[in-house]
Amino acid sequence: MTNTNSPVLEMQNVDKHFGGVHAINDFSVKIERGKIHGLIGPNGAGKTTIFNNITGIYAPDSGKIFFMENDITKTTPHKVAQLGIGRTFQNIRLFSNLSVVDNVIIASNMDAKYNMPQAIFKTAKYKKLEAYLREEAMDLLGFVGLSDKANERASSLPYGHQRKLEIARAMALKPKLLLLDEPAAGMNAEESLDLVQFVKEIKSHFDITILMIEHHMDVVTNLCDHCTVLNFGKTIAVGTPAEIKSNPEVIKAYLGGDE
Amino acid sequence: MLLQQLITGISVGGIFALLATGYSLIYSLLDFSNWSHGEFAMVGAYVAIVFSNLLGLPFLVAAAAGVAGGAAISFLCERTTYRRIRSNGAPNMFLMIAAMGLSNVLQQAANLIFSGQYRSYAFRLPVTTIQIGNSYIGVLDIISLCITAVVLVLLIYIINKTKFGLNVRAIASNSYAARVLGVRVDRTIAMVFLLAGSLAGVAGVLYGMKYNVFPTMGNVGLKAFIASVIGGLGSVPGAIVGAVLLGIIETLVSAYISSSLRDFFSFALLIVLLLVKPSGLFGVDVQDKA
Repeated sequence: MTNTNSPVLEMQNVDKHFGGVHAINDFSVKIERGKIHGLIGPNGAGKTTIFNNITGIYAPDSGKIFFMENDITKTTPHKVAQLGIGRTFQNIRLFSNLSVVDNVIIASNMDAKYNMPQAIFKTAKYKKLEAYLREEAMDLLGFVGLSDKANERASSLPYGHQRKLEIARAMALKPKLLLLDEPAAGMNAEESLDLVQFVKEIKSHFDITILMIEHHMDVVTNLCDHCTVLNFGKTIAVGTPAEIKSNPEVIKAYLGGDE
Repeated sequence: MLLQQLITGISVGGIFALLATGYSLIYSLLDFSNWSHGEFAMVGAYVAIVFSNLLGLPFLVAAAAGVAGGAAISFLCERTTYRRIRSNGAPNMFLMIAAMGLSNVLQQAANLIFSGQYRSYAFRLPVTTIQIGNSYIGVLDIISLCITAVVLVLLIYIINKTKFGLNVRAIASNSYAARVLGVRVDRTIAMVFLLAGSLAGVAGVLYGMKYNVFPTMGNVGLKAFIASVIGGLGSVPGAIVGAVLLGIIETLVSAYISSSLRDFFSFALLIVLLLVKPSGLFGVDVQDKA
């Protein structure tokens, strides 16, 4: 049923209010397979609200969200995750008192495959599953360069490594779509360049589609195929990074903003 | 004499521990103290009374039913009350107030159904003692201690060594992230209520064997709460250590000072602890204690 040409993510006329605040106003987007789409806009423009709508943290007031042609408008967060949408957070949300490798294993979607008695008595099947998941988690950590930190507490990692761990953890869901919320936040120019390289590697290695929120224009220019620019919940521009950079509406919004 | 008191103290502490771990588990997941937890033990104890005294079933069957009863009432409270309050997005204070309400409702219900009379199991309990040196150690205390130890080891194993336990620890660490990573948070919480409730059921039956069964027996939950504060709210190993310490302190106070001062010492200890070291021995989280 899934058509290879159909978009991985499609949002149609999504609206979301919080009290009197119109957080997202008639937002639509289509993201084709294998693309990186950027969401840009000043603080409070509604970007993270869009992520929360996609991942089912809260449902939109109106409008539709489709993932690989499935309607996920009202789907609960754990279901959305299991369908294959991974996510990172603007302010890192690791399981800080758990080990690095446990952080990754949690996202491994194994819950459907065993029951309590199997887990308590550690049946052969359960042990095999457990060993396999640990191996997979270690592979992911190897890919992001954190193998040697596997047994350390997540909170003991330096900031840059925590960002990478958060991405590795999202990848353990084997997502088809990865949502990155300001991955370059708090990074200097050199670190941002590193991140750009890292995201490119992940994208080609795992063959995924990415939607990212980002403020650093150099990161956006380097990574994104298309961008949507938001201001106060409204879409003010859509296009390639080059197009939006010369868009007068965008320049106005940003000159008024803090960037 | 001292050995005798210590064994009794550890055995009483074990019963506290079965409840204190429940307080800690639920606190670690939901950031509130489940004040109806002691009543889950009471309900378990009464279910065992019904099975053993009214239906005349063998005591082991009745005890198992009591454990299941504790689990069932705990699960029911979560599904009918706590989950609804959470999904309304109400502050945690509401959960605590609801728990106090449930505690009262369950106590009054037991009073109405069974009257306030003290009941004991229609089962010849092993009231004999073993003599070691000049100490006399109750067989019942030893049995209680062994059952408690097995149950607590199993609990620690589940929390630390299974994927279910990993989910529980992940939710305790960051429930928002856990949800977004595909963990079925509400289902896991319901299973924790089942687990904590069955431990409360074990505690209720053991406590009932030692001190009889009565509607206000759930007040032992307050002692378990003190124990979990001593250990550091939210920490399962802390709750166990705190409970054993409190059991020993209470037994020693009863034996060497006065049994009427026992509760005074326990609650004074709670207040001193909250003033001096609110994070407890295994300090997890200092804020928002009650």
